Amino acid sequence: MEPVADRVRDAAAGLTALLHEAEAARRSRAEVSGSDGASAVCAWNHFENIPTFYNWNNRPR
Amino acid sequence: MAARAPGVTGMRGIGTLPSYVVMQPTTLCNLDCAYCYLPHRALDRRMPVAVAEAVAAAVNPWADRSRFSVVWHGGEPLAAGREHLAALIAPFGPAVEHHVQTNATLIDDAWCAFFTEHQVRVSVSVDGPRERNGERVTRAGRPAYDRILRGVAALRRHGLPFSALAVVSRPGPGLATELYDYFLDLGCDVLGVNVEETEGVNTRGNAHDAAVVTAFWAELVGAWRKAPRIHLREVEWSLRYAAAVLDGTTDDLLPRRLDPIPTVAQDGSVVVLSPELAGFTDPRYGDFSSGNVLSTPLGEILAGAPDTPWVAEFLTGVEACRSSCPYFGFCGGGHAANRYFELGRFDGTETDHCRNSKIRLLEGVLEHARDHQSPAA
Repeated sequence: MEPVADRVRDAAAGLTALLHEAEAARRSRAEVSGSDGASAVCAWNHFENIPTFYNWNNRPR
Repeated sequence: MAARAPGVTGMRGIGTLPSYVVMQPTTLCNLDCAYCYLPHRALDRRMPVAVAEAVAAAVNPWADRSRFSVVWHGGEPLAAGREHLAALIAPFGPAVEHHVQTNATLIDDAWCAFFTEHQVRVSVSVDGPRERNGERVTRAGRPAYDRILRGVAALRRHGLPFSALAVVSRPGPGLATELYDYFLDLGCDVLGVNVEETEGVNTRGNAHDAAVVTAFWAELVGAWRKAPRIHLREVEWSLRYAAAVLDGTTDDLLPRRLDPIPTVAQDGSVVVLSPELAGFTDPRYGDFSSGNVLSTPLGEILAGAPDTPWVAEFLTGVEACRSSCPYFGFCGGGHAANRYFELGRFDGTETDHCRNSKIRLLEGVLEHARDHQSPAA
């Protein structure tokens, strides 16, 4: 029924390890939601909300 | 075909409040990159301040309510000059964020001071090491790479953080590692990787071997994993989808409605959804615009945008993607410009851009995950 989602779940072991590393990387980058106003980096949850080219859907490039 | 991505309810229709607006301060670009889609980049048609004032009148109240940005795009936005760009920025309130997508060739100490003064966030277009920038040339046909690097050096000298955007024309083995290592050295905080697209005046084909493109993305994951200091758009979005699938929250991922992403061309005309359509005309669709801010408030234009004939056809296309494509929950539907420039219509579905930059991206991430079930070596 959901061939793509099923294959994601089939790769769960590798993805889980990768997701843990990504989480650690985000913490090491000290990504906060632009509170200092200086960083070009955006927080994980803001990723699609930062323009220029960060918007996944129908973004300019 | 039966529904392939059941339960994906986001991306239905177009929202009326954008989170950002793309502004074209000038049509001119001082470079002449081989893959550029812009039709009027040799002409210097500058945006009148009245256009910026009209846009600001609409967006200043929006920015007071939630995060809102203006993206100065182009042409090359810095080709408008500091004085004119400052005049265009002036009508916007302090809550509005400003971003610029630039080829970096004009960045010097004075521009860095400008970015600091106006709190402009900078994203640089560069395709990797010198030998990967053969498509990025001046109007005289000379390589632009040294000038790009001089601009980046100025940003670094002034301690200004920056993003980078790279175009990949020919994916192949080894390239992803080379690129990622290059951008680590360059010092960008954020990186987006675009496989070249067939759109606008760039009619070069973008069909590639599926296995090669999938392997490119898988290799990029591996390179990033060894030193994940850069916010890597494609990999992080893929991981975000993977996490949502594993958590059972896939339907929370996509926005409820499409962001209209208005592009305001230098003359004030507004094209929604795909900036690449601005400046083009078609016997069936006209000039793709939904109005002009010099005669109609931006909010009113956006409220009426779904009635623009091509937009209505595009929304039919999004629903076709939803009902036919198993990757819809990841992607949210093919982009308008790719549909139009590859398929000639807006209600078609899968494009080469979908294959290169969505489908094979996700497959590459999954390929890497299957081949690396334990933490990175």
